[in-house]
Amino acid sequence: MSKIFPKSVNSLPLQIVIYLFVLSGIATAAITYYMTPKYTRVGYAPVQPVPFSHAIHAGQLGLDCRYCHSNVEKSPNATVPASQTCMNCHSLVKANSPLLAIVRASYQSGDPVPWVRIHQVPDFAYFNHAIHVNRGISCVECHGQINQMDRVHEVQSLSMGFCLTCHRDPAKYVREPKDVFNLDSPRIAEAKGEVAAANFVHDWKINPPQNCSGCHR
Amino acid sequence: MKRKVAHPAPTDRELTGPRYWRSLDELADTPGFREHLEREFPQGAANLDGVDRRQFFKLMAASFALGGIGLAGCRRPESYILPYGKSVEGVVPGLPLYFATAMPLRKSAIPLLAETHQGRPTKLEGNPSYAPHGGASTLLAQASVLDLYDPDRATAHTKNGAGLDLAGLNDLLAFVGKNYSAADGAGLAFLAGESGSPTRAALVARLKKKFPKAVWAEYEPVRDEPPLAAAQVAFGQAVKPLYQFAKARRIVSLDGDFLAAESGSLYYSREFAKGRRVRTKDDDMNRLYVAESGYTITGGMADHRLRLASSHMVLLAAALASRITGDSDYAKFAEGLDVKPEWLDACAADLLANKGTSLVVAGAHQPATVHVLAYAINAALGNIGETVDFVAVEPPGAAALADLAAAISAGKVKTLVVLGGNPAYNAPADLNFTALLKTVPEVIRYGGYVDETSQSAGVQIAAAHYLESWGDARTVDGTIVPVQPMILPLFGGLTEIEVLARIAGEPTVDPYALVFETVTKIAGGDAQAAFNKFLHDGLLENSAYEKIPVEFSAQRTSRLFAIASTPVALSRTNLEIRFAADYKVDDGRFVNNGWLQECPDPITRLTWDNAILISPRLAKELGVDPKGALFQVARRELADFEKGKENAFVAEVTVAGRKIRGPLHIQPGLSNYTIVVPLGYGRSVTGSVGRDTGFNAYLARTSDAPEFVTGAVIMVTRERMILANTQQHWSMEGRDLVREDNFDDYQKNPGYVHAIGFEAHTPSILGEEGDKMSLARQSTEIPRGNSLYVTPKFTGLQQWGMSIDLNTCTGCNACVVACQAENNIPIVGKDQVSRGREMHWIRIDRYYSSGSADNNDIPEEPQASVQPVACSQCELAPCEMVCPVNATVHDEEGLNVMAYNRCIGTRYCANNCPYKVRRFNYFDWNKRSIGHFYEGPLGPDGMPELLKMVKNPEVTVRMRGVMEKCTYCVQRIEGAKIQHKVKVAQAGDPADIVLPDGAVRTACQQACPVEAIVFGNILNPDSAVSKAKAQEQDYALLAYLNTRPRTTYLGKLRNPNHAMPDLNRANELPYSRQELELKMGRPADGEGSGEGKSSDSPDVGPPAARTGGSA
Repeated sequence: MSKIFPKSVNSLPLQIVIYLFVLSGIATAAITYYMTPKYTRVGYAPVQPVPFSHAIHAGQLGLDCRYCHSNVEKSPNATVPASQTCMNCHSLVKANSPLLAIVRASYQSGDPVPWVRIHQVPDFAYFNHAIHVNRGISCVECHGQINQMDRVHEVQSLSMGFCLTCHRDPAKYVREPKDVFNLDSPRIAEAKGEVAAANFVHDWKINPPQNCSGCHR
Repeated sequence: MKRKVAHPAPTDRELTGPRYWRSLDELADTPGFREHLEREFPQGAANLDGVDRRQFFKLMAASFALGGIGLAGCRRPESYILPYGKSVEGVVPGLPLYFATAMPLRKSAIPLLAETHQGRPTKLEGNPSYAPHGGASTLLAQASVLDLYDPDRATAHTKNGAGLDLAGLNDLLAFVGKNYSAADGAGLAFLAGESGSPTRAALVARLKKKFPKAVWAEYEPVRDEPPLAAAQVAFGQAVKPLYQFAKARRIVSLDGDFLAAESGSLYYSREFAKGRRVRTKDDDMNRLYVAESGYTITGGMADHRLRLASSHMVLLAAALASRITGDSDYAKFAEGLDVKPEWLDACAADLLANKGTSLVVAGAHQPATVHVLAYAINAALGNIGETVDFVAVEPPGAAALADLAAAISAGKVKTLVVLGGNPAYNAPADLNFTALLKTVPEVIRYGGYVDETSQSAGVQIAAAHYLESWGDARTVDGTIVPVQPMILPLFGGLTEIEVLARIAGEPTVDPYALVFETVTKIAGGDAQAAFNKFLHDGLLENSAYEKIPVEFSAQRTSRLFAIASTPVALSRTNLEIRFAADYKVDDGRFVNNGWLQECPDPITRLTWDNAILISPRLAKELGVDPKGALFQVARRELADFEKGKENAFVAEVTVAGRKIRGPLHIQPGLSNYTIVVPLGYGRSVTGSVGRDTGFNAYLARTSDAPEFVTGAVIMVTRERMILANTQQHWSMEGRDLVREDNFDDYQKNPGYVHAIGFEAHTPSILGEEGDKMSLARQSTEIPRGNSLYVTPKFTGLQQWGMSIDLNTCTGCNACVVACQAENNIPIVGKDQVSRGREMHWIRIDRYYSSGSADNNDIPEEPQASVQPVACSQCELAPCEMVCPVNATVHDEEGLNVMAYNRCIGTRYCANNCPYKVRRFNYFDWNKRSIGHFYEGPLGPDGMPELLKMVKNPEVTVRMRGVMEKCTYCVQRIEGAKIQHKVKVAQAGDPADIVLPDGAVRTACQQACPVEAIVFGNILNPDSAVSKAKAQEQDYALLAYLNTRPRTTYLGKLRNPNHAMPDLNRANELPYSRQELELKMGRPADGEGSGEGKSSDSPDVGPPAARTGGSA
């Protein structure tokens, strides 16, 4: 038999096993990296029909988030503003700017401006803005420094893992309720230390759900 | 965030902005790109072997451009956020809005609150402002929202088959008015349904004034109010009775199904439950005697049920009247009554002992004589003004259908306007109305569907659904309620009042203006303020019918009896047919409603069909008594069941030469020679849902005997037909599922439920220590859990629990459809129901018991017991330990939750569930296009957008291969928790996050007409649910399995009269209890195991001990 199979073949089964391990390891790593939201979603920055700049409105001008996202404190949806909201100012400011033609047309016709959705969680996950902003979670935790973005891009993966890191340890992420809409404010843990943050979580009885029913219905 | 936005897909015009990631080609085709490419690779560069070189480079370049960001092909498709152009007042995207409206049905309406999501109504609830209903609703009201989105609705106005635009239609209607105004309306006729709308009444009055010679006829195939003629004779006034069941301790129903089938049954159910509910042994409990020919929901609640043909009801009424009034004149009308005199004596004695607190009710379908006798009895008992009020109503001013038919035959009708209804289908057969319609030169038909009547009508006007209409209506007590539109007419339908106003040539035809005018005229004061309040409250205060004192006159009634015919004795060759409105499709108007079609009939449990219901006695005589045993227990089944499918014989019923043909269903408890045929099925022209369902019973119905007729014969054919029956097993087989006791026995032994069944024979699964714990500790600490599976930690601030009172539950099915509407539960069709694949999260089990352990024969006189069963949310859930992917687990608040996105569909959980409440999606019920559901993944996509609009955006729509079940309406729980936390945070008291009692109501609880379902936090000893569970008759279904269900039941009670002859043993127990004891032995007799505990042994745990401990 040795004439057919050289000696080196003896180690072949082991080699195959090792190769399979390595290959499957590479495949797993590749899928984990390339197919998870951390890779596929973060950085998504579509061009919007109107080049609205949060950096100018929320950053330079200092508009409160809630001027446009008016229902964020009471509704699951933060509410992308109606064109009417834009026209409150832009009927006077830059009233004839060609960049705003779509908004003006929308205001006149009543048809919506087709804003491209950036932040999206799956249909079976029920995220609620109101509960987060009312209980110390700032916009910045999920949306990043929106007040510095000319064109909004996705900063966090918004995957279930991302949600759970905070739901498991909210003390690291909470802000004073008055600072929730101040995107440059520090978290309590950063400003006053972890003990103060833990106290806040305790006093407010913040106990974010970690079970399925919290988000999946 | 995750709501399905109801906006339409963006149009091309909306999408004029750059679209970057829709596809690579588009990206590469942007002008800047093209320019760039053209510079590097001039046009006309050589093609490589047929591959477009330029295209190749374009794609490559595009890929490079995207390289830094990611793999474009792996991305989700681009989606859009489409905000309003102009803000809409009051609309907060993501939060529902509620508007008051009402569902009109015949003369009475049910006030409702409609939940709308961005302009589309998805769910209806009872309007709590209307106190008599207390926020409850009915099966039909719950299902009616689906009709709004029915793709089979009439979608266009047509004339002779061609489309007619709105302007053309308006001209046509105005022309009708103008054309006939010269002749004072001679030649013009209207045929409408009954309505309680004050606006319509005002319009009809004006119409009659303008066209004095026109015929205004009204026709309803089903009568749900007592005949006015009876009150007219008895009291000499146009009055109708309004029963006050809460005040009645003794109730006798003469063929009346007041709990479900009559106008006002929602109010009556609630009031009846008030007198029925027993919280402590000191509470009083009413007693219900029911004499009936069929088996109705009311009959199922009876303490004493007498099987008697509908045509013999007058004899019974006369016999009772003679005993109670002492007037021997009545006795001569009672001749031929085949009821034990002892029964009558005992019943009459019981009524006489409760003067002023008793009540005799006759069924609305019974003739005036029976009603007059009932009034005579009530008057003699002093019940008038106590348990029955009489309210003044408008005397009828409409012609009957027969008058209209006569006018048509005489050629006097040139134009017939059919407003609603479907006379070509449901008119009495002897009128031959379809043929008559064809002889009318012009038929204008206003209706919501293209149906049998549309076939004979030249003009079809599409009707608006009531959720698209402005209108008004009256409830059963006369309170005026608004009908508000929730959405613009989806198919441009018109309202009835607009059509009438246009024909009448009114200056205002806008229905809103018409309703405004009527209501503000009645309300008085500041018109706008009054109308706003009317719309806000959903009712007009103090607008109920006036209660008036009445005086019963025996003299006036004698004339009526002189003309009454004497009923004949029934036999196999002289059967009685009872035409009954179906519990689900009513008179046929809801036949295209899938929720109703699939909802099992409360009594027969049939879906998708009606059947000829025959008594077991008649079945035996006909030789269709089923043979063979399905189960090991030596017994026969209701009918033949082959692999779970009811294999029914097809029979032909002939009466006066008219024939109907349909499947036989043997119904225990029917009067021996009465056959019951539910109306409303067998439609020849209807939508895709109602097509080919059931048989048409109207074919044998004539105008002289529309409710019941005698002289019928039945012939069984050799044909068989499969019926989709959801409950093949009618007996509890002596198990302890529904635990019943008699009221007086309960008073002696309030913890009777603990002396029944397996638990009575075994040591408590909680152990001695556990028995002493409070309910809250029991449910969080799981005493003696002893499971290998890791016991969940119940650390939540709330622990949810539910209590269902079997004593008040009537089995009306309102909860079943309310759950379906709330939780986006699909329908599966007859084929799948007959395979046991129906999807209802809550089902109502109906059991018959006859007091005999040997169930070889179908019982002729059974007692029915109903039990709603949904997921019990076991604390130690058997389903969880077998799930390989942890798709079903517990949360901290005691919910057995289902993560649909994790479920891989092994169905192990359903297999391991002892309650059989898990439902599996065998097909893509929400994805495939209509007619392709059973093709699995091969079927084409394309559920109509219209049907998607009824979905609740708060609940995930499940796909094929996913298990689902009751979640205690987790979306409502989470929503309420969030709302409460937001509220307290904004109020500056952020730590007060425990929900107040009543903040969450499940859909079934909210709909329940009798408040049998109580839901809440069992950690709070003062919550309604804790109090309910603290009652001594609280028990858990299959508790011996140690599943610790969070849903528990309150035992059922019956309150029989021991003087009655129908009790076959002294101090009788309910039949189901007798069966159980015959099988298991009476614990008190020591027949149980050594651990058996007698019913009054203290350690069995009359739960005072359980709950009184360390709270």
